[in-house]
Amino acid sequence: MTLRKKQIYSAAEMDRAIGDMAAAIAAAFPISNGGCALVGIHQFGVPLAERLHDGIVKLTGSEPEFGKLDISMYRDDIGNRNPLPLIRETEIDFDINDRTIVLVDDVLSSGRTIRAALDALTDYGRPKAIRLAVLVDRGEPEYPIRADFVGFKVQLPADRKVAVSFDDDNRSGGIDEVDWTK
Amino acid sequence: MSEYILKNARVIDPNRNIDSIGDIGVAGKVIEEPAKLKNPKIVDLKGKVVSPGFIDLHVHLRQPGNTQAETIATGTAAAAAGGFTSIVAMPNTTPAADNAGAIEFLRQNAAAQGVVHVLPCGNMTKEGKGEEMAGIGSLKSAGVVALSDDGKCIQDHALMRHVVEYAKSFGLPILDHCEDNHLAAGGVMHEGKWSVLLGMRGISGAAEELMIARNIILARQIDWQIHMQHVSVKESVKLLRAARAEGIKVTGEATPHHISLTDECIKRYDTNYKMNPPLRSESDRLAVIEGIADGTLTAIATDHAPHTRTAKEVEFDSAPCGIVGLETAVPVSYTILVKAGIITLPHLIRLFTTGPADILRFERYDLAVGSTADITVIDPDACYKVDKNTFRTKSRNTPFHGMDVQCRPVLTMVAGKIVHQEL
Amino acid sequence: MQWTKKDLLCLYDLSAEEIEFILDTAAEFKKVSQRRVKKVPALRGKTVVNLFVEPSTRTRVSFELAEQRLSADIVNMQAQSSSLLKGETLLDTVRNIEALQVDLIVMRHSAPGAQAFIARNLKCGVVNAGDGAHSHPTQALLDIFTIREKKGRVAGLNVAVIGDIIHSRVARSNIWGLLKLGAKVTVAGPATLVPREFEEIGVRVCHNLKDAVADADVVNLLRIQRERQTAGFFPSIGEYARFFGINNDTLKYMKPDALIMHPGPINRGVELTGDVADGEQSVILEQVTNGLAIRMAVLYLVAGCVKK
Repeated sequence: MTLRKKQIYSAAEMDRAIGDMAAAIAAAFPISNGGCALVGIHQFGVPLAERLHDGIVKLTGSEPEFGKLDISMYRDDIGNRNPLPLIRETEIDFDINDRTIVLVDDVLSSGRTIRAALDALTDYGRPKAIRLAVLVDRGEPEYPIRADFVGFKVQLPADRKVAVSFDDDNRSGGIDEVDWTK
Repeated sequence: MSEYILKNARVIDPNRNIDSIGDIGVAGKVIEEPAKLKNPKIVDLKGKVVSPGFIDLHVHLRQPGNTQAETIATGTAAAAAGGFTSIVAMPNTTPAADNAGAIEFLRQNAAAQGVVHVLPCGNMTKEGKGEEMAGIGSLKSAGVVALSDDGKCIQDHALMRHVVEYAKSFGLPILDHCEDNHLAAGGVMHEGKWSVLLGMRGISGAAEELMIARNIILARQIDWQIHMQHVSVKESVKLLRAARAEGIKVTGEATPHHISLTDECIKRYDTNYKMNPPLRSESDRLAVIEGIADGTLTAIATDHAPHTRTAKEVEFDSAPCGIVGLETAVPVSYTILVKAGIITLPHLIRLFTTGPADILRFERYDLAVGSTADITVIDPDACYKVDKNTFRTKSRNTPFHGMDVQCRPVLTMVAGKIVHQEL
Repeated sequence: MQWTKKDLLCLYDLSAEEIEFILDTAAEFKKVSQRRVKKVPALRGKTVVNLFVEPSTRTRVSFELAEQRLSADIVNMQAQSSSLLKGETLLDTVRNIEALQVDLIVMRHSAPGAQAFIARNLKCGVVNAGDGAHSHPTQALLDIFTIREKKGRVAGLNVAVIGDIIHSRVARSNIWGLLKLGAKVTVAGPATLVPREFEEIGVRVCHNLKDAVADADVVNLLRIQRERQTAGFFPSIGEYARFFGINNDTLKYMKPDALIMHPGPINRGVELTGDVADGEQSVILEQVTNGLAIRMAVLYLVAGCVKK
């Protein structure tokens, strides 16, 4: 299998989109109304959520709560696919009851990850509302899931993947279209 | 009457000190001079080795009592395929061969269905229980060649002493399965590093050593022949070596599995490695090989012990002991001993021929004219993989499946009749 | 790395990496039991059979609870009520269970190697809950997890396991796991119960309690069974307690932050006194909590490798 990558958005474009998303979220959920909490979904939803968190702090001066979620225990395909990778850290150490939670993920494709995240989140409490922020929306989810805050809308054939990359310091690395061919 | 000339083979006839290329003639049931044959069939055995027929001192034929695992017919067919012309049948059948009637059954069945000589062995004690002496005199009259309680060992030394004294008066050698029950303590594998690591109950080597010492003492005291079956422990070999140096009439045999496998094999819990005495440590294995090399142990015997798949396909603790061995004895022994350069081929041949013959007190055992035409032909250069699916034995409980071996039995002749041929 | 095994049979078969993988996974499952909703749907729709041919209460309850918190469907089978009593072979029994389309079998048996034997013959997963004196992998994993949690590491620690070592599957599994992760292991107890053969794999063997525990960072006490005394391995429980039991005086010559562990159930006054069991160095109850997390992690991982 050879991997062919083609960049579709540069790091600079990624930065601009993240900035716009942070502004939109800050505007949608002002502190006066209780603000919101960000929960990033492993793996790349977490650095994205951290960037959004920093963006909101810069814009509003206040810090939204921050959590990380690994949805491995909520998948519906255990035993059907390849062996399971290591579960990453779930940390939601604030009370989610009655709060507005913004789930953050890098790419929305089938929607199944978000479905699992909704199940996981509601085992922690009963939020007032849950919204979804994604950097890339591929537009044709298998489940009725919609993103509320979107960086880029991208339409690609089903056999292509979209890869969002961050470096170890959460700096943008660009967005690639990835083609696995035999 | 069939006549054969076995031509161009390397003839190894230990008792007549022959080891040279030559021809052997067969007329009817006996050996004859080739020149005197009128219409012989010529069998060209260039590159092969011809010797007196191999004898296995230790075979479980399972009939009567466990014919699902083996019968006299299938067991003897396996013997023939393994190159053996005579086998000694152990008495722990159900019912036990502790009386003349049982021996008669064996002889008749073997005559009708067996393809090699079946030499009956009778129990020392009734049902092999180690409590009361069996009818040894009647057993002798019925035709047993030796006495054994194999599977078990007489624990009461006074009783054993009486058995040995009585057997001596009938000229019957004793073949003893040496095991002290207290020290064996219900173990399932050798007591050593591996039994400790695997958490299994161990059978101490001392259990064998103790009874070997007991037997040496009795053999010396009574001046009669006691043969130790399946010697597996290095201390046992040492005791035998010293006793034989003193001239005491003790002998010992080793099995092909005890010279090739060790207790580490059990870490997969494969019941094809469970037998009694158990596979021992590497130093024990090497000591047994040394015992063969220096003449302390004078016979190789298989302890061929068939078991059905159902019986063996259980947890290790619950599995019965034993593996089949007739069809792997020659290749495994050759590979471990001769191919590795530890002993010569003529020495190996003695371990399968004159060694056992002496233990059974045969007057002569060779290929002289007039001897019964019991002949084994092997191809010492043939290399192959053991394939249990080609076995003639009914059972498949072997640890050697897939092993690379050298030396194939290619022709077996029993009383002038060819019972196995793979030329 | 990824978990690739459909069975958990013995820590001897696992690499250090694989052991750490289980511990890291368990760390996440531990959090599940600490939140409001103590369940996750990971094994929803999967069927687990608990086949305890050798009876048990604590381990079985721990496995059952782990299975429930993973949302699995559970069936419990015990030897007394099973067909094994009627003469069915073990292999036939488990094949019949597998024919019910079961995903995992959690088994305890008194014959060493029984689980390894059935695992080779089954497509469903097998988790070893104890096979004779050979192996009890989940117990060792929870012990090692507890050590790692409390001490921050395993490598380089001195761990002493005290008691009836020769008959103990807990001792053997701990030895394999600890050695793989780089700990220094000492076993100690009466000479009749602690064989020297363990020295051949790099374990220190000791028949004196003080020698064994003076430098220990962790002391793991194994339960003494009364049957061993009647079988002649040592003269009396009192003598065992006197020479190998841990009491407040023993603690005085041990490291002050040494952990006291015990797989349970404890015999107060034998392996350790009540004071020590309830004292600050004891992590016995945490072991129980961690056991649940370890078992959830193990069931989750092996279930992921059972192919339909």
